[in-house]
Amino acid sequence: ITARICLNGIVNQDVQIAEEKPRAIFRTSESNPANHTEQHDCQHYSIPLEEVKVIFPHGLPRRFKEQIETFKEACLMVRKPAVELFGYLKSTNFAQPAIRYVLYGESGTGKTMTLCHAVHYCAKQGWLVLHIPDAHLLVKNCKQLLQSSYKTERIDQPLQASAWLKNFRTSNEHLLREIKTQQKYTWNKWDSTEEGRPLVEMVEQGITRMKTATDVVGAVLKELKRQCSLGSFKLLVAVDGVNAFWGKTTLRKRDKTLVSPEELALVHNLRKMVMNDWSGGAIVTTICQTGSVFKPRLAYLPHELLGDEGFSALEPFVPIQVPKYSEKEFESCYQYYLDRKWLQHEKARTPDGRAELLFLSGANPAQLERLAAML
Amino acid sequence: MCFNCPVEDYCQAAMFYSAIYSILRFPLETANKGPVSTQLELCFMRTPSLSSHFILCRLIQVRWKRYAPAFLEPEVNKETLHKEPTELPEEEKKQWDFKTTRPIKAAPSSVTSSVFSDPLVSFPAFCTQTLEAIKRKQLKKYHEASEEEKVNIECNPYTIFHQALSNCKPIVELTSISRGGRFYQIPTPVKDSRQRFLAMKWLITECTENKNHRTFMHVKLSQELLLAFHGEGPVIKMKHNVHKMAESNRAYAHFRWG
Repeated sequence: ITARICLNGIVNQDVQIAEEKPRAIFRTSESNPANHTEQHDCQHYSIPLEEVKVIFPHGLPRRFKEQIETFKEACLMVRKPAVELFGYLKSTNFAQPAIRYVLYGESGTGKTMTLCHAVHYCAKQGWLVLHIPDAHLLVKNCKQLLQSSYKTERIDQPLQASAWLKNFRTSNEHLLREIKTQQKYTWNKWDSTEEGRPLVEMVEQGITRMKTATDVVGAVLKELKRQCSLGSFKLLVAVDGVNAFWGKTTLRKRDKTLVSPEELALVHNLRKMVMNDWSGGAIVTTICQTGSVFKPRLAYLPHELLGDEGFSALEPFVPIQVPKYSEKEFESCYQYYLDRKWLQHEKARTPDGRAELLFLSGANPAQLERLAAML
Repeated sequence: MCFNCPVEDYCQAAMFYSAIYSILRFPLETANKGPVSTQLELCFMRTPSLSSHFILCRLIQVRWKRYAPAFLEPEVNKETLHKEPTELPEEEKKQWDFKTTRPIKAAPSSVTSSVFSDPLVSFPAFCTQTLEAIKRKQLKKYHEASEEEKVNIECNPYTIFHQALSNCKPIVELTSISRGGRFYQIPTPVKDSRQRFLAMKWLITECTENKNHRTFMHVKLSQELLLAFHGEGPVIKMKHNVHKMAESNRAYAHFRWG
């Protein structure tokens, strides 16, 4: 009972302080993620909308994109897992093989948002960002599967590959113009890319000729891996839902047999990218149950979601847990929603309403957002 | 209906092949007249050969809505529950002591002690998306508007919902009454519950029938509610039509009283 009274006291104090200086508590004006430290913990920083269009053509969660449209601003909370990750990224030794970081946590705790924060940080630093927004989309509900012309036992996914290449070009155009190919690629009887051409040409070739898109993706990944080790640019491989690469798919071939992930050419090449046999960058991944296939709903630990195969493939990795909101983070989020007029109900401003929100959402960020949407 | 015969006469060994054809439940007269009573359940099952119906009976415990008069209503309001009984005035203290001696009905699952509960929004799980859609549209307008216009834009989805509903409520409607063998349509005042019912029914029918079947219901509903809030839209037109018809049949209004 005394703990509850103390907490109530702290909450009331926070609310009072917030009313006097509303912007100081939950916002920070530091818009460069490189300068985010423990001091900025639990504060929201805003990303200019032009940057959002360039850096995040894909990759932001659907509800966050709706929020950006409604509030006319893109605000991310600086949280401890992100700050920890930046500490590791800042101290990477680019001569050593790339280290793999796996963000894990319960459903709705903010793993994708932390990954997007890391992508923003690396993009600002001038790294080349290879962002796969949701690897689960590659292993389920794919129309138009083609047999690969390069290796007959593999399967192409032209739609997914060309869509990804378009977004990849938008986010990294300036760097792709400078990187040159180191060998000649022949796509088919009529198309080929010579040695020494900028990678942008190859990417555009993949976007216009959808049938060669998967092969183009494979070639781009091969080139980037080879040239990154030489040190001319730094590469960040950001994969959301990396547990999709090992496991099962819901896709079937024409003879109704199930497709396994290695038979998909995209997954095969991306698996090679997530290996630590190259240097000059980092690999930040998320494991996610929400879009996954054939995984139990409450599973969130790395071994449960990756399985034996995936765990041994990703090993050794640095696991970073993304927890639910702490008291301070919840208060910050609550104040942000009140400031943006997202919480409209009169009772939502009262301490009773706040307590009820905390109880109903269980401090889970996604649940809180959905509850606040209703109120 | 009451059965006072022994149960064994009705129980036969039945073979569980196909679906239960029908279930009839008959309350048994027992000493217990509270919410939990025993029922005799007769299951009629069809055999594959369609030749005969097997009857399977069993006694089951059932909780039903008819309570004995001794049962009192539950207290759901958190504020009254948190008050100490000694602080209350005399009458309420007596009520409180009375409640400790009597059995209390089970609270229905639609009633909550939530701070955000609203009697009109009785099924918030369904309305979440509608309220969210209304709020997003209004907030977008709000953030794009200038300072003077911001004051006029209403963003609270609950006030919009209540206002839209009250704008759609008809005051009079036509009812059929027979006088001298002929049927006349006469204007009658509409009761509160029927007003609410008609407003909601018109909104829902409008969305289901006259909109594109590919759009989601919550999107359609949010559009209709916003139009009704501003006093425009097909539902308001329907209400005005009803009022006009009632006005035109004003001459027959005295038929209501014979």
